[in-house]
Amino acid sequence: MSGPRDRLRAATRDAREGLRSVARIARWETSRSAGVVDRQTAILGLVALLMAGAVGGAAMATGGVALDRDVYRIGVAADSPYSEVVEESPALAARPPDLDRLGRDVDVVVQQERFYVADSQKARAALSTFRDAVRRHNLGRMREEGNQSAAFPVVVTLRYADRVPSGAVTAGSGSGTGTGAESGTDTDTGSTDATDGDGTGSGTDGGGADTASVGTGGESTGDGPLGVPGVGGVGGLLGGGGTSGSPADISPPFPFGALVLAFVFFIPMNFVIQPYGSTILNERINRRGELLLVAPVSPSAIVAGKTLPYLGLLVGITTLVALAIGGGPVSVAAVVPIATLYLAATFVGGMFARSFKELTFVTVSISVFLTSYAFVPAIFTNVTPIALISPLTLVVHDLQGTGVTAAQYVFSTGPFYVGSAVLFLLGVGVYREEDMFTQRPVPLKFLDALNSRITGLKSVAVLSALAIPFVFIAELLAIAVLFVLPVEVSIPLLLVAVATVEEVAKSVHLYAGFRGPFAGRRGWQTALTLGALSGLGFFLGEKLTAIVQLVGLPNLTLGRAAFSSAGVAATPAVGLLLLFAPLVLHATTTSIASLGATRDRTWYLAALVPAIGVHTAYNLAVVSFLG
Amino acid sequence: MADPRLTIARRELATLRSEKTIVLALLIQLFIAAFSSFLVVGLVSLYDPGSVEGYETTVGVTGDATDDLLRVVDDQASMEGVAYGSQATARAAFQSGEVDAVLLADRRAGRVFVTATAPDGNVRTTIVVVQLREALSTFERVERGERSTYLSATPLDLPPRSGSTPYYGFSYTVLLPLLCFLPVFISGSITVDSVTEEFERGTLELLRVAPVSTVDIVDGKVWAAAALAPVQAGLWLALLAFNGTTVRHPLALLLVVAALALLVVTLGATIALLAPDRRAAQFLYSVGVLVAFGGTTLLPLNPVNTVARLAVDSVGPTYPLLVAGYLVLGGGAYVLLRRAVPRIGLAD
Repeated sequence: MSGPRDRLRAATRDAREGLRSVARIARWETSRSAGVVDRQTAILGLVALLMAGAVGGAAMATGGVALDRDVYRIGVAADSPYSEVVEESPALAARPPDLDRLGRDVDVVVQQERFYVADSQKARAALSTFRDAVRRHNLGRMREEGNQSAAFPVVVTLRYADRVPSGAVTAGSGSGTGTGAESGTDTDTGSTDATDGDGTGSGTDGGGADTASVGTGGESTGDGPLGVPGVGGVGGLLGGGGTSGSPADISPPFPFGALVLAFVFFIPMNFVIQPYGSTILNERINRRGELLLVAPVSPSAIVAGKTLPYLGLLVGITTLVALAIGGGPVSVAAVVPIATLYLAATFVGGMFARSFKELTFVTVSISVFLTSYAFVPAIFTNVTPIALISPLTLVVHDLQGTGVTAAQYVFSTGPFYVGSAVLFLLGVGVYREEDMFTQRPVPLKFLDALNSRITGLKSVAVLSALAIPFVFIAELLAIAVLFVLPVEVSIPLLLVAVATVEEVAKSVHLYAGFRGPFAGRRGWQTALTLGALSGLGFFLGEKLTAIVQLVGLPNLTLGRAAFSSAGVAATPAVGLLLLFAPLVLHATTTSIASLGATRDRTWYLAALVPAIGVHTAYNLAVVSFLG
Repeated sequence: MADPRLTIARRELATLRSEKTIVLALLIQLFIAAFSSFLVVGLVSLYDPGSVEGYETTVGVTGDATDDLLRVVDDQASMEGVAYGSQATARAAFQSGEVDAVLLADRRAGRVFVTATAPDGNVRTTIVVVQLREALSTFERVERGERSTYLSATPLDLPPRSGSTPYYGFSYTVLLPLLCFLPVFISGSITVDSVTEEFERGTLELLRVAPVSTVDIVDGKVWAAAALAPVQAGLWLALLAFNGTTVRHPLALLLVVAALALLVVTLGATIALLAPDRRAAQFLYSVGVLVAFGGTTLLPLNPVNTVARLAVDSVGPTYPLLVAGYLVLGGGAYVLLRRAVPRIGLAD
């Protein structure tokens, strides 16, 4: 009867043995990487870093850089009151007020209080910049006035209040109440100071602010000395939008300062993934990694050992950065999953790339895509809860002093953890001799990696579900890129893009499977079964995400619109219909693609077209049906 | 037989083509460009009053300065004011959605104190706040005008509003320099990779037993990488022109890009020869380029500004001198590297 216990003991021993080898490899990796840096390189690096610091400091000290210096030329006489304005503004260059040269050497001419503008886009842009400069100049002059109440006769206090639709107070908002009440009080005290004992006003407002669940009130605490209007802009840098002072000082809730600080977290990541990618690719050059492969350690132990030092380094740097810019444990906990995904993506890149050059492009792509994915939503931190799809939003919240709930943390970092795990799994799958030391194009390597994870029918569905984090990332990027186009073009294009991303995600591993484990079973029955299973897996994954959204973010209306095919509907009847419609859709379209995948690449691509077509038509119907 | 340096350069380009990395590079650049445009256009349309005139905002006004404020609010484009007798009715109207914002304006101690209430936490918030700011700024001007006797200076009249988009300035001072310099940085990175990989794979030995000198090898690599940048920049210029952004002085622009590419590629090659491990070399290269470009933006005549001013034709007649200056800089660095290569000594 000691069977289970023996097995447990054996398992513990194996685990301990595995951990020991991971630690050994990690030590070896550290010492080898450190050995690369000879004294000359170290000195060069130190000099470069010092210079980078000096340049950054100089940029800070001189008040930033003017990329648009002297881009617009304003014709203004030296004795005109406007010549001072032109001198103050770096983008404007003063020229003699010669009307004959208007449009050639001068864009705007000021003569006798009249403005002459050349007929060109550039001149209009120049006029607009000039207008802003005059406004700034006026503001500066007014600040120097002795009689401040005449210079700034209007004092504005801006506050935000939630509009509670009647009877829509949900039970789920319990998690938000704590922070809501807290920020509400903050707003109240701030405004009482500001309005100089405006008793009735702030009293009644307090009632309104209490109902605010996710308040943005943190900002108003920064603006202490409101007796003097017009200085709010300086104090409000960290919090973003100013909330009181002269009308020119109030601004929308834009977390500019916090975003800039959050960007500091990204800089070390971009540097650390370079050596990490190199060390992975180094193993594959001249069959260097063969010795390690034949050693009695598993590939996952090797990969874990090689990754740990870099992950540790990133965690250390992140902690230091957090300490430096005033972030708490929440910031670190939010940035670490981003760092993990950076490393995971680089690892896969290092396993797929054929040369250093290719690796460079892969790492650059990773940096660009992940940075933008983390950044864009965070810009809208104070605007919409959907910003939480990026962990950086948590950092912004943390820096602003507004709290973060556990559900929010899970919601925004979940895809990053799952995504990293999937990428490491894929990469470890090709950490074997036949893939590491051969020069094959990246797409074939990718198919190999997928194949290494296909073991049976069930794994097909699992792979589909695991693709969802990447589908989210791709769809968000599509929104970002298509945003520039006019709405009539961008919405249909977006629907096509979403359909394409989802169809490819659901069928690419089937295509791989028909070149691997299912190579001998290319009949239409297998194709339909696999297609339906893959669709089911995707559907289940999507539903899980929808439930997480529902639980974590009960007031997320925008999310419903954006991912409408997930089927979170307003009424139960529509909900039931929409619950199973996506399942039918996913199964059908993937089966179409699967049929094509049994043949060759051309057939697969050709079959994707009708699949995407059906999917787009469905999305279009859902969007127009739900309004 | 052809010039061995050309052969090496051709081989460099051939590997880029066979790995299709250059396609990826172009895609990345396109993405970055599209993306920064998205950021700017998106943010501008959110945070700029001129571009949100499609939205009609209704504002509830209450308090003892209601009449004066209401007059200003009604003068604003796409804004409508509704007077409320008491704060409670205004608040009720806000809650029920009749008005998008509430302004409570009270006169006290010679000033007007305005408490503005805006809806919290949605996309409309920013637009409402921006519109409120516009209206209240106008209100401030009116009120200030009434108190002008107490002021020592009168504010300057604002130039008229123009129908210009902020996108214009962005296209020339950010987007275009970005598209011109990304290929330059990528070329430098390619050179670092190319040289360090020869070391790592040990193929440099093979090259050196061939009848070519080390200088020839470096020449071939530098030429290939440096030639790529202006070609890509030219492609972007054509794309921008096709998109309606006319770029002036294209030839001068491409010459500046070529000169800077030669400079940066030389930097990359030098670093790779001095620190032949890719990890160290890439790190040094990226920090070096960051320092160099970050540093120059502090100068009055920095590359970004040069490109922007060339493109909008805000340069004087002496601009060929400026371009020549860049060419001398790039060429000079290259000549120095060629001199230095035999002394660096590639025998590891």
